[in-house]
Amino acid sequence: MSNRGSACPPGWRLPESQHAILRSPRIRVGCPDLLFSEEREMPHGIRCLVWCWAVVACAVFAGCSDPDRAPTAGDGAGGTGTTGTSKGTGSAASADGKGVDSGSKPNGDKAGSAEESGADLSAAEEKFVVPSREDVEARANWFDQPVANLLDRRKEQEKGTPPEASAALALRNNTRQTNEQIVATLGRVAQSDDDVDYNATLNKHIKADARSTNPLLQSSVYEVDVQGLIGLLPFTFDRDLNRVGDADVIVSWQTSSDRMMDKVVLRDDLVWSDGHPVTAHDLEFAFQTVMNPKIKVPAIKTSLGRLHAVKAYDDWTVVFFHKEALATNPWNISVPFFPKHIYEKTLAEDPTMEESEAHVELEKNPVVCGPYRLVDRQLGSQYLFERREDWFMHKGKQVRNKPYFKQVRIRVISDLNTALLAVKKGEIDEMELSAEQWVTQTGDDDFYDLNTKASGVEWTTYLFTWNTKTPYFSDVRVRKAMGLAFNHKELHETLNYGLFDAGNGVFHPASWMAPKPGPAPYQQDLDMAEKLLDEAGWVDSDGDGIRDKKIDGKLVKFEFNIICTAVAERIQLCTLLKNCLEQIGVVCNVSPLDFAVLQERTIDHNFHAAFGGWGAGADPDLSFNVYGTDEGRNYGSYSNLEVDKLFMEARHEFDRAKRAKLYARVHELIYADQPATYLFYKNSFYAFSKKLRGYQFSPRGPYHYGPGVLSLYKVRN
Amino acid sequence: MSSAVEHSTPGHPVNPSGFPGPIERSPGFWRQAWQQYRRKKLAMAALLLVAWLGVVAILAPAIAGTRPVVCKYKGEIYFPALYYFNPDWEPVIFSNDKFRQRYPKNLKEKDPESWAIWPLVFQDPYRRIENNEWDGQKGNPTGANGVPSLRNLMGTRQDGVDVFAQMVHGTTISLLVGFVSMGIASLIGITLGAIAGYVGGWADMLLSRVLEVVLCIPPLALILAVQSILEKPTIWHMMMMIGCTGWTTIARLTRAEFLKLRDADFVLAARAMGLGWPRIVFRHILPNALTPVLVPITFGIASAILTESSLSYLGFGVRPPTPSWGALLNLSRSSNGAMWWLIAFPGSAIFLAVLSYNLIGEGLQEAIDPRLRDAGK
Repeated sequence: MSNRGSACPPGWRLPESQHAILRSPRIRVGCPDLLFSEEREMPHGIRCLVWCWAVVACAVFAGCSDPDRAPTAGDGAGGTGTTGTSKGTGSAASADGKGVDSGSKPNGDKAGSAEESGADLSAAEEKFVVPSREDVEARANWFDQPVANLLDRRKEQEKGTPPEASAALALRNNTRQTNEQIVATLGRVAQSDDDVDYNATLNKHIKADARSTNPLLQSSVYEVDVQGLIGLLPFTFDRDLNRVGDADVIVSWQTSSDRMMDKVVLRDDLVWSDGHPVTAHDLEFAFQTVMNPKIKVPAIKTSLGRLHAVKAYDDWTVVFFHKEALATNPWNISVPFFPKHIYEKTLAEDPTMEESEAHVELEKNPVVCGPYRLVDRQLGSQYLFERREDWFMHKGKQVRNKPYFKQVRIRVISDLNTALLAVKKGEIDEMELSAEQWVTQTGDDDFYDLNTKASGVEWTTYLFTWNTKTPYFSDVRVRKAMGLAFNHKELHETLNYGLFDAGNGVFHPASWMAPKPGPAPYQQDLDMAEKLLDEAGWVDSDGDGIRDKKIDGKLVKFEFNIICTAVAERIQLCTLLKNCLEQIGVVCNVSPLDFAVLQERTIDHNFHAAFGGWGAGADPDLSFNVYGTDEGRNYGSYSNLEVDKLFMEARHEFDRAKRAKLYARVHELIYADQPATYLFYKNSFYAFSKKLRGYQFSPRGPYHYGPGVLSLYKVRN
Repeated sequence: MSSAVEHSTPGHPVNPSGFPGPIERSPGFWRQAWQQYRRKKLAMAALLLVAWLGVVAILAPAIAGTRPVVCKYKGEIYFPALYYFNPDWEPVIFSNDKFRQRYPKNLKEKDPESWAIWPLVFQDPYRRIENNEWDGQKGNPTGANGVPSLRNLMGTRQDGVDVFAQMVHGTTISLLVGFVSMGIASLIGITLGAIAGYVGGWADMLLSRVLEVVLCIPPLALILAVQSILEKPTIWHMMMMIGCTGWTTIARLTRAEFLKLRDADFVLAARAMGLGWPRIVFRHILPNALTPVLVPITFGIASAILTESSLSYLGFGVRPPTPSWGALLNLSRSSNGAMWWLIAFPGSAIFLAVLSYNLIGEGLQEAIDPRLRDAGK
């Protein structure tokens, strides 16, 4: 089970969006995961990119106020997402789909275009003939890939006498040291069953309701959170975003020497909650269902679209056939288990998987194969899950770790202030805190009575994206001037409460793909900014105090709109930009938008500038979707052919050190072009009940990796 | 209008009844209403408060700001504070001379001869004041540290912007919203009500149904919907929306009055004299029908202010960074009440403004309605 947490599909919250990619199948490599949105719920695909604006930001700032957008985002997940299915289809797809009207060219790179639209897929599918088992074995020349139980691995790593918890519990988390001490002590996994209260209930918080309990219909981070408990994937990834097979689910994972095939052998002791065994056919069926053009699957189609086929050669052996040998292939084979014996009867009648009576019933009482099963769901308010005996007991023998909680309750509370009150009263055991909550509302006895808090580095980047197709930002000097005009110090010290690190580019400085040392973050320098604007031809020629420029014979004033989600913190951030630019004769109007509208506008490239964020993808290739020419989430229409080339090269490079060099170059090139002003990396800030233990932070936050949420436990008194 | 004569106006020659000497002319309706109104202490206090808010709104740049109200720079007199009414009114010389919106030091540096009259409080409604921007004045505190102090009379927001400056400059919005939106509502309501009442028949039927339809539209939901469609929603759009949904009561009262007066003797007389309908409607019926309509207008102003505050509270109000009382209240939410000054000051301002308009409406109602007016006697 360990990975389940991670398993969560990429729906992830935005921030995580990136990881999302990793984690789940849905993630197609192609898509970056960024979040532009504030809701962190972005769909997997999206996740990557979610713009912060939407998501991340939200989260960050205000806490997102627009929970419902999640779904939207969700669709996109698969693809770039944002909006919907079209994007979902694939990152590339989205590029194509939407791109068409916006005049973008079809995506040049083969790998990218491969996955595209459903139609393409099915066409490709027809052409591909699944080889016989003998053929496969004959030409495979398998080599082993890692398979591990990440919970056990962590137990192993943390062996030894744990530090006394009472000291850590008495701490106030005010400094880096206390934070480290709290995470190092309370974040340890349980070494022995005696520590764990197996009768406990975990009360978890999510900001918006999940749309569905069907593993194929996940699109936002909320569905991912639900699937993390009831769903199952053959693969997971650890805190450092390394892909491994999940030993709770599979016996072995092998890749052919030409990297065109992956073979997985499943364990034979997994059963669905109705007693039916979990087999390789459930994976094959999941793939076929996702690829069926009649069936609308929001998010996970993109990554799976990079596969030719998934074939179950017997009950336990399944082979994934890739279209291309890519470094990102391990992320493309994230197929969730989908109960064939149930859905093969019901799908014909209702391809939406949502409308028929049988499907409505399945939505309420899903047949699941994860460590928990759903026992009660109240729409918009809460989920109740119960531990499954048949998950860890098989034929009278314990075959897996016993899940730590008897019950897990997920409470949907969209207002962060209300959620914090619930935390203080002990009604929920954890929540993600906003920067303001972390600094000003969780320092007193009222909070520390029942709770403590912890933070970790997260690879979520917030930025101003400049639309390079507008007359204002087509010139790199203007984009640089924007970065130089902005008061970064005020942002970091005042609006961010000194909690987040300055942004210096696409990849988080702590990640393996970032250049070392990275470029220096921008500092405010109004004189330099004015000089660059003068050079770019933006001068006040008509004497009204506002810069202007003759473009095609018409005098254009430098007055643009910046869009962000309607969250107080984000509006304040954009207002800071407005104030700074006002000082150098540029008019910037702040337009707060509803998340859905913002997503639509960014996907259509219908904006001048936008504030948002991107979560970390498990694989840096996901960022291609954001910075590749005409890619789906390249909202600012940035284009640098050398960057495109390097991304392609890295996709075909299997040596991590060499890939890291390529991505470091990408990072530097993009930073020099400043398609966006990189503002800050937002870290994770969480409140945890004092009874809770076992939380560790990954670049995707505390839950969205393996073992993630499954390593949490409550101590026995 | 028949009641006691309070004073005489000497020298009037008209004497139809033939009695000798000047007769006392009975006071006009409005004068009488005003006399009635003046006796109500609460209503008068409310009126003064609203007048005072008007003064604050007009003088806002002189009360709190970071731009001189008047200054002499390089031999010319300028009024940089007009910026707060319209950014385009800020003299261009200051941006050409690279003042970068920071006046106090730049003025002295760039022209030692210059002088300036500064606002009473050196604080800006749009941004945080930094250290020593004004000689010796410390920068505004941020986060939850902005407790009211001598420097920040009403505290600061999380991002360090002064609440007092925002309150003062936000007054404009509150007053504007009330008057403009009710102006629009009155225009629509009185016109449609007059047509329905005067023409009657099918017009009445039609307009009454339209009115019922409009009555069914929840203004808040409509405004939210329209704002999401508009490319650049401004406060004026919002006022228009409030006005376009708030005219129903006014129209119904106007229609009722017109129905009543249409057949009154003086209208019949006017008609008999051959007057055209515009003159009958506007000169004869309307002034007599207007009184009951004033009351819903005043109450409407109060509710328009509340609507604006609610919208801003929800984050869909005035376009940021325009200061508004409701937007300040919105910011208090995230502090769970710890930053009490974000609740107390804008909250009481909204409360007082709304209460004032309601008291004025009530006072007006009592002053002009003979039944209410004489009830106490």
